[in-house]
Amino acid sequence: MPNGEHQTALEPHHGAGRYVAVWVALCALTVGTLLASRLSLGPPWHLLVALAIAAAKAGLVALFFMHLWDQPGVNRLVFATSLVFVALLIGLVLLDSATRFPLANPPNERTLRFEPPSFETHVQPGEREQGEPGAIGRPPARE
Amino acid sequence: MVHDAPASAGSAVYNTPNYLNAEIGVRSWLLTRDHKRIAIMYLVLTTSAFALGGIFAMLIRIELLTPGPTIMSALTYNRMFTLHGVIMIFLFMVPAIPGIFGNFFLPLMLGAQDVAFPRLNLLSVYLYLTGAVIAVWGMIHGGADTGWTFYAPYSTTTPTQVVPILLGAFVVGFSSIVTGINFIVTTHTMRGPGLTWNRMPLFVWSIYATSVIQVLATPVLGMVLLLVAIEHAFGFGIFDPARGGDPVLFQHLFWFYSHPAVYIMVLPAMAVISEVVCAFARKNMFGYKAVAYSSLGIAFVGFFTWGHHLFTSGQSTFDAGIFGVLSMFVGIFTAIKVFNWTATLYQGAIKFTAPFAYVCGFLFFLVFGGMTGVALATVSLDVHWQDTYFVVAHFHFIMVGGTIMAFLAAIHYWWPKMFGRMYSEGWALVAACLIILGFNATFIPQFLLGNMGMPRRYYSYPAQFWPLNVASTAGASLLAFGFLLVLTYLLISLRHGKVAGPNPWGSRGFEWNTPSPPSALNFPVPPVFTHGPHDYTTGAETPPEAPGEPEHA
Repeated sequence: MPNGEHQTALEPHHGAGRYVAVWVALCALTVGTLLASRLSLGPPWHLLVALAIAAAKAGLVALFFMHLWDQPGVNRLVFATSLVFVALLIGLVLLDSATRFPLANPPNERTLRFEPPSFETHVQPGEREQGEPGAIGRPPARE
Repeated sequence: MVHDAPASAGSAVYNTPNYLNAEIGVRSWLLTRDHKRIAIMYLVLTTSAFALGGIFAMLIRIELLTPGPTIMSALTYNRMFTLHGVIMIFLFMVPAIPGIFGNFFLPLMLGAQDVAFPRLNLLSVYLYLTGAVIAVWGMIHGGADTGWTFYAPYSTTTPTQVVPILLGAFVVGFSSIVTGINFIVTTHTMRGPGLTWNRMPLFVWSIYATSVIQVLATPVLGMVLLLVAIEHAFGFGIFDPARGGDPVLFQHLFWFYSHPAVYIMVLPAMAVISEVVCAFARKNMFGYKAVAYSSLGIAFVGFFTWGHHLFTSGQSTFDAGIFGVLSMFVGIFTAIKVFNWTATLYQGAIKFTAPFAYVCGFLFFLVFGGMTGVALATVSLDVHWQDTYFVVAHFHFIMVGGTIMAFLAAIHYWWPKMFGRMYSEGWALVAACLIILGFNATFIPQFLLGNMGMPRRYYSYPAQFWPLNVASTAGASLLAFGFLLVLTYLLISLRHGKVAGPNPWGSRGFEWNTPSPPSALNFPVPPVFTHGPHDYTTGAETPPEAPGEPEHA
C-alpha cells in the first residue's frame, strides 16, 4: 500500500478554472433555490426541489472541492459508507414518526404526508388534518 | 503533574535516554509531538477527571444513605448526578483507553515512529482540555440538572447553566474525532514491513473499530448538542412540543451517537483484554480472525440499536420491535469474543497477576452486564425496568465495570513499559480484590432495587429500600478505597519501584520489543514482522529486526 506522501504525489493537479466553474455552478444553484421558493408549487414539491438542489450542491463540493472526482475507489467507498449511515439515521427516525401513535407527533409536522399503516385501524388516515393549522401545542381534535 | 513525570521517573536509573528524559522542561511537554508523551498527558488529564467524577459519585451515594435529605438539597443532588455522568462519560470513559494506551501503543505495535498526524494528536489533547475547562466552568457557575442525557424539552427550558456544559461536551467531541482519524490513517499507512492486516495485534483491530465509530457518530452528537444549546438560548421550537418541536427526535439524534458511544468505551476495553489474556495465559489467541472481525461487527451493528433507549418514550411500537431484535445481535459478537478469550485460557500456563485479576473481573462484569442487557432489549421486560435502578446497575456493570477493569488491567500490564518500573504486586492484588468486590457490592443491590421498582435519579425513597441503599453506599466506599490504594502504590513505584527491564512479563506482544521506557524514536532499528503477535509456539522471543532502512508496508 502506498503511504500518504506517495498518494498525494500521484494526484493530478488542476488549474483554478475547474474550481471557478464549480463555484459559479454553486452560485447558480443558490439562485435557483431562491427562485424556486417563489414559485407556487404544491406542499411536498417545495421541499423536494430545495432538497434536490442542496444535494446537487453537496455533490459538487464533495466531488471537486474535496477531490473525490480524482480519488481511488476506496476513498469513494468511505464517502458512500458515510452516506449510508446518514440514510440509516434519517430512515429509521422517519419510520418511527410514520408508524407512531399519531397523537404522539406534534401537530403540523406531516410535511411528507406519511400516513399511519393500515393495521392501526382505530385511527383513520387524515384524522390529524382536522387540527387547525398553527394551533401549536394543542392536540388535534378527535372524531 | 505532566512535567513531574520525567523527574520522578529518574533518568539515572535506566542508563538509557528515553522519551521521558529526552527533552527537559515544561515547554518540551506542552509542545511535544511524541505520541508517548501525549499519552502521558492524557493519563494525567483523564485520571484527574475520573477522580472528580468519583467524588461526585461518592457524594451521590452519601446522599442516598438515608431515605430523606442527608447532606444536600434536591437541586444540588440533581446537579451532582449530572456532573458525575458528564465527567465520567465525556471526560474519562470515551477518551481514556484510546487517548492513553491507544496513543502510546498503537505506533509501537505497528512498528512506526509516531502516529500519522503528530500535530493533530497534540491538538486533540488541547481540544479535550478546552472542552473540559468550559464544562467545569459551567459546573462552577450554576451547573446543570438535566442528567448527562440532556433530554429535551427539560434541557431547553431549565434555568440552570446547561449551555456551557453542552459546549464543553461539543468541543471534547472534536478531540474524539481527531484522535479517531489519526488512528485510522496510522493503521492504514504506517504498518511496518511484513505487518499484514491478519498479523496486526488484536488491540489495533479494536482501536481501529472504535475510531470508525468515533468518526461516524460523534458529529451527530455535536449537531444535537448545538441544537439544544440554540433552543435553550434563542427559544427556537426544535425539540420542545410547546413550540412545535418533537422531543422524541432529540432522543433519536442523541442516542444515534450515545449508543455507539457505549462501544467507543467497551471496544478499547476488549482491545486491552485480548492482549492481556494472551500474555498471561502464554498462548496464541484462540480464533484470532473471529475476535478481530467481531470488533468490526460490534462497530457496525452498534449503529442499528439506538432505539432501545426509546421503548417507553413515545417511539412507535413498530420501531421498538425492530430495535429490540437488532439490539440482540450485539450479544452474538460479544459472545464470540468471550468464548474465544476463555478458550484461549484453556490449557494455558496462567500467571495470576494483577492484570489477570482484572481480566477475570472484566469477564464477569461483561457477561453479567451483557445478559441483563439482552433482557432489557426485550420490549415487554424493558417497560417494567425502564428508568429504574436496574438500568443503572446494568450499564454500570457492562460499560463502567468493563471499561474500568480493562483500564486497570492495561495500566498494570503496561506500567513497566511506560515508566520502566514495577509496582508492588502484593498490594496490586489486594487492590484488585477490593475494587472487584466493591463494584459488586455497589451495583448488585442496585439490580435488586431496580427490580423492586426504585426509579433512578430520585432524591428520596421509601424506607423499604433503605437497607439495600446502605449496602450500595458501603460497596462504593470499598471501591473508592481500592482506587486510592492503586493511585498510592503506582505513584510510589514511579520513584521507588524496582527497574522492570524491557519485558518483565515475558510477553510476546510487539510493543515489548522496545526498551523500557521506550526511546523517543521508539525503535533503534525499525522491526520487520514475520509472524503475528503473541506467538508462543515458535522459539524466538522477539521478531527479527531488519538491517538498514526499511520500506513501510
